[in-house]
Amino acid sequence: MVSKTEESQLNRLENQVDNGGGGAWEYLCLARKLKVRRPEKALKYGLSILNDSKKRYALGPEQWTLYEQVAIAAMDCQCLDVAKDCIKVLQKKFPESKRVGRLEGMLLEATGSRAEAEKAYSSLLEDNPLDQVIHKRRVAMAKAQGNISAAIEWLNKYLEIFMADHDAWRELAEIYVSLQMYKQAAFCYEELILSQPTVPLYHLAYADVLYTLGELENLQIAKKYYASTIDLTGGKNTRALLGICLCTSAMRQLSKGRNKEDKESPELQSLAAKALEKDYEQIADDKLGLLTCALRSLKI
Amino acid sequence: MAEDLVLDTAIRDWVLIPLSVVMVLIGILRYFVSKLMRSFQVPDPKIVKEGQVIVRARNLRAAANFIPPKSFRSRRVYFSNEENGLLFVPKGQAQNAQAQMFSDPNMAMDMMKKNLSMIIPQTLTFAWVNFFFSGFVAAKIPFPLTQRFRSMLQNGIDLSTVDVSYVSSRSWYFLNLFGLRGLFSLILGEENATDDTQRMMQMSGFGFDPSKSLGAEKDGLDIVQHEWALPKFEHRAEAVLKKLVS
Repeated sequence: MVSKTEESQLNRLENQVDNGGGGAWEYLCLARKLKVRRPEKALKYGLSILNDSKKRYALGPEQWTLYEQVAIAAMDCQCLDVAKDCIKVLQKKFPESKRVGRLEGMLLEATGSRAEAEKAYSSLLEDNPLDQVIHKRRVAMAKAQGNISAAIEWLNKYLEIFMADHDAWRELAEIYVSLQMYKQAAFCYEELILSQPTVPLYHLAYADVLYTLGELENLQIAKKYYASTIDLTGGKNTRALLGICLCTSAMRQLSKGRNKEDKESPELQSLAAKALEKDYEQIADDKLGLLTCALRSLKI
Repeated sequence: MAEDLVLDTAIRDWVLIPLSVVMVLIGILRYFVSKLMRSFQVPDPKIVKEGQVIVRARNLRAAANFIPPKSFRSRRVYFSNEENGLLFVPKGQAQNAQAQMFSDPNMAMDMMKKNLSMIIPQTLTFAWVNFFFSGFVAAKIPFPLTQRFRSMLQNGIDLSTVDVSYVSSRSWYFLNLFGLRGLFSLILGEENATDDTQRMMQMSGFGFDPSKSLGAEKDGLDIVQHEWALPKFEHRAEAVLKKLVS
């Protein structure tokens, strides 16, 4: 994930280049390093550098990386001719390269000839079974075709080998949630929490999935994770605050027959409600009425 | 002897500086040669998988207190299960790793190349130093030393009464050998093949890495006591909200 300072730096460079202040090459390098997806800008500024032969020669060996970046940006913006030209140039320079083969596969995918792209990727993977990017492209293609079960299968196979890749776990979790396979999604979110325990996003998502699963036990755990999200974000996360209110009221409904009161944090719900009201007062005053109605109905 | 020997400044001009310059140049030459000779090593899928397994197991150990106890226990069983746990290495396989390392032709060739690129320049330079720069006092070490160091530092000098602080050029060579490492990392960037001392240390501890670290991870995981940290978070969230609301 991109940190705040890096993001602000990137935005600053982008503004600078937009207003004609130069520095396009630094912007492109930073975008490539942070793996940020800004295709229109990359295409515009990359092409301006590449078409100016003086600037191109000034780059030296870096110009091939720029060709690759511009080719991918062009495919993102559907300017397939530009992409084809860039790839042709790269092919001339590096005839047997796997990286260029990857770009060709992506071009086939972009033009819509999915079966051929699939064949190209499979052959590339035979030569080099440990190429992470091609594995991921295969999963993305299956997902784009709507073949979600194949995407899950490929992704699971990928994760069997590369089990420390947290982006892949995240993708798998989102796919499972879209298919309503919440138990598996919970497992994936646990993996994410294990690898990055201080990121509140994963706690929140895990709590959401647990709340959706229902059952008193899951609700208790979900409440704890909403609380940890609040702690990690300093109380600013509206979704977590609402989650606490909903969890507590759901738990109260489920345990109506039994006498089991939540002794751990009795005030949490009222505090969360108060914090929510304060937030809404500050930011969305007109919706405050809706909020108070909703909170009142929860307290039943 | 308490007297100070006056050393000719010509020694400094014609021995110390040329020797350092030559060693720096040879280091740079070795770096570029090693870059040329480096063959592309196809990573073994099994080793990659083991590496990833270790990272995942380490994450599990580090952040164990953040997930519910049931999930932690099921993961622990998954990793250290007797029959098909990921970290479980049967005793027979553990010793084979080193034998495999030496019988694998590619790996042996790689090690040979690295060793050669290290040994040959060292030997040549050493012989050159001995041939041209022996038999005279080259420098004076600024701090006093005991008599033990005489045989090491004063090799070409056959006078036994000279103070041990006066050393021959061979010791200057060794000083440069170990000292220029810092200079090389400045000039050539982090990854340079001139890290001889590091390589020598690496060679002794080679080969057991994969299976031993798996076993170590498994032991570490067995030891971990799961103490769920989440209840604490509820109280902390309360405190945060109290501060926010008030």
